[in-house]
Amino acid sequence: MRNLDVFGSTRSAVTVAAAIGLLALTCSSTAHAQDNGVTPSEISIGAIGALTGPLAFIGTPGRDSMTVAFNEINANGGVCGRKLHLGFEHASSPAESIAAVKKLVEQDKVFILVLASGSTGAAAAADYVRQAGVPTYNIYGSTPIIRNPFAKNVFHGAVVPVEVSAAALISMFYDDGYMPKKFGILAGTYAFPQATLKAAQDILKQKGRDFTVEQFDIGARDFTSQLVALQRQSVDSVLVLGSFSEAGFAIKQAREMGMANARWVVDGSAVSTAIIPILGNADGIRGYYNAPAFPGQTPATREFEARLKKHLGSMPQGRPSVYDLIGYGSGYVVAEAIKATNCQLTRDHLIDAWSNLKDAGPAVLGGLDITFPESYTPTDHQGVYRIGAAIVKDGQWQVYRVIDKP
Amino acid sequence: MLSQLGFVVLAGIKFGALYALTALGLVVVHKATKTVNFAHGAFAMLGAFGSFLIVVNWGWPYWAAYLMIPIAIGVIAATIEFLILRRLRQADMFTVVIATVFLGIALSEGFRLTYNTELLAVPSLFAAPPFIVAGVVITRDTMWVIVGALLAALACIAVFRYGRIGRGMRAMAANIRGAQLCGYSIDGVYMLAWFLGGVLAGLTGVFIAPVTGVSVDLSIAIITAGFVAGVIGGFDSPRGAVLGGLLLGVAESLSAAYGSSAMKNCISFLLLFLVLMWRPQGLFPERSGRSV
Repeated sequence: MRNLDVFGSTRSAVTVAAAIGLLALTCSSTAHAQDNGVTPSEISIGAIGALTGPLAFIGTPGRDSMTVAFNEINANGGVCGRKLHLGFEHASSPAESIAAVKKLVEQDKVFILVLASGSTGAAAAADYVRQAGVPTYNIYGSTPIIRNPFAKNVFHGAVVPVEVSAAALISMFYDDGYMPKKFGILAGTYAFPQATLKAAQDILKQKGRDFTVEQFDIGARDFTSQLVALQRQSVDSVLVLGSFSEAGFAIKQAREMGMANARWVVDGSAVSTAIIPILGNADGIRGYYNAPAFPGQTPATREFEARLKKHLGSMPQGRPSVYDLIGYGSGYVVAEAIKATNCQLTRDHLIDAWSNLKDAGPAVLGGLDITFPESYTPTDHQGVYRIGAAIVKDGQWQVYRVIDKP
Repeated sequence: MLSQLGFVVLAGIKFGALYALTALGLVVVHKATKTVNFAHGAFAMLGAFGSFLIVVNWGWPYWAAYLMIPIAIGVIAATIEFLILRRLRQADMFTVVIATVFLGIALSEGFRLTYNTELLAVPSLFAAPPFIVAGVVITRDTMWVIVGALLAALACIAVFRYGRIGRGMRAMAANIRGAQLCGYSIDGVYMLAWFLGGVLAGLTGVFIAPVTGVSVDLSIAIITAGFVAGVIGGFDSPRGAVLGGLLLGVAESLSAAYGSSAMKNCISFLLLFLVLMWRPQGLFPERSGRSV
């Protein structure tokens, strides 16, 4: 009774108790909302990728173009009445990737995690994201480590599995009636070239083709030894698995050695405008492209380039790259997946909605149609199986055919 | 087979000439000031970036880069000596070396922050077809790098050996008090040494830009090779630096081509350890031997 005296009357005590209860409930509800990265005004999306160092050509476009997409979506009212907020953590090495993912999930408590780090980061984070159960969108990693075993919370966007890209790369050697006699593969020793290398070797073995493999370290600029080895083996068709700078300097040196007549096919990460100034004349070089058209090839890609330039101030050399196009498209896919929950913003609802998403892409929400549409099923979380075959003609990259799941 | 060997050796000489120019820049600063300038790689990277600006961004001819960049980088290096390192002159050697290490990192990171891109490509100097001598393809760019870099290195050695500037630097290195009594100014000679080191770094940058492109990693790659070349040749010997650079370039190229590509990276450190253990004064030291 003494306690009740403090409040003056029983009625007052009940009122205060109710208020405290209501407050506690509100706090608990807010805490719950913040636990999954959703507040009444904002949905938090966390992403990792390299912003500096040799893999920055993947992460930096990811951050920039997803930001462009989210800005457009937010300018049109956001999704489910909330703005999309991108928190981007730099991560280059496997250790940095795991630390960044843990921070985003456990500390920042993001609603969706985007792996914009390529295969290195995706492979490093794979076990953790499967265990954490947070909806994860792998937009650049081609590594099988993030794909197998299947996890219901992990989705893969425009970058196709290595078996698909490797088959597309090999098929490009036979375009226009060319018949390779002996294949040479120049592969980087780091994660994503190694993943494609294994798949390419499997395909060539299955087909009974003669091939030889030479490897180089990340950021290599001198390929004399590898090229001499390829020349000794009388290779006439070379597949380069590495970045545009590595592929560019390898091909440049090969030409200096008199290997100008070989057919060169480069990995998707080397299909960039930045390879052209390295080579001077890059005509005839082929590679796969994870988008239906190259920047500058269609009005939509030209408009995207203008919007990205406006966002960045000035366009860095080699941009927009395929990673820009994918980043932009992926930003819209994220928004569509959230919208598909009918605004029941829990992670379980999101995973269910995403698993049934069909033909998702920027065009659906009024963005620029510059990527392949993404479709998912509850048992197949690979959104895209299409790939573009690209070639340099008159100093410009262009997609010359679209390959449907080779 | 012989043409392949010729190409491998030529490629080794090309990179070796660039290592030689880098090592010479390190040796010039070290000989005059007893400081190992670990910011030298960053200066070379700035030189390469300068040639990107001149040739690609502004569309000026290459000769403008060869004329302007070395002087600009020399001025930057001398300014850094004046503003930062002069204040550390009384500090112990370790402090000065650490200062140059972090100076290099600061310059590299500054470049990274202002121009965040993986690689800036600089076009080749010559578009004309290569020469073929006894089956060996020799591009004009390769010839230019080898001849140009080695001539620049020889000119620098001549200046260092016979010029008044070089005499001052050598006198300062041998005996500071004695050199002062002979009328040489410590401030003047130190600044001149840093200027000359900067000029050589800038020149290395202009030569290397079309060969490797411009990236932040360039500063580490070039300082590592230059340092190893300097130690192999003899860190107090400009002539040794040049020979050490050529030896390193050819050894790297041959070991990678006829051993394994993975050996390219380890051969330089293997040579470094061998020289440090058995001939610490370097393979081509100055007359009076001096330990590294």
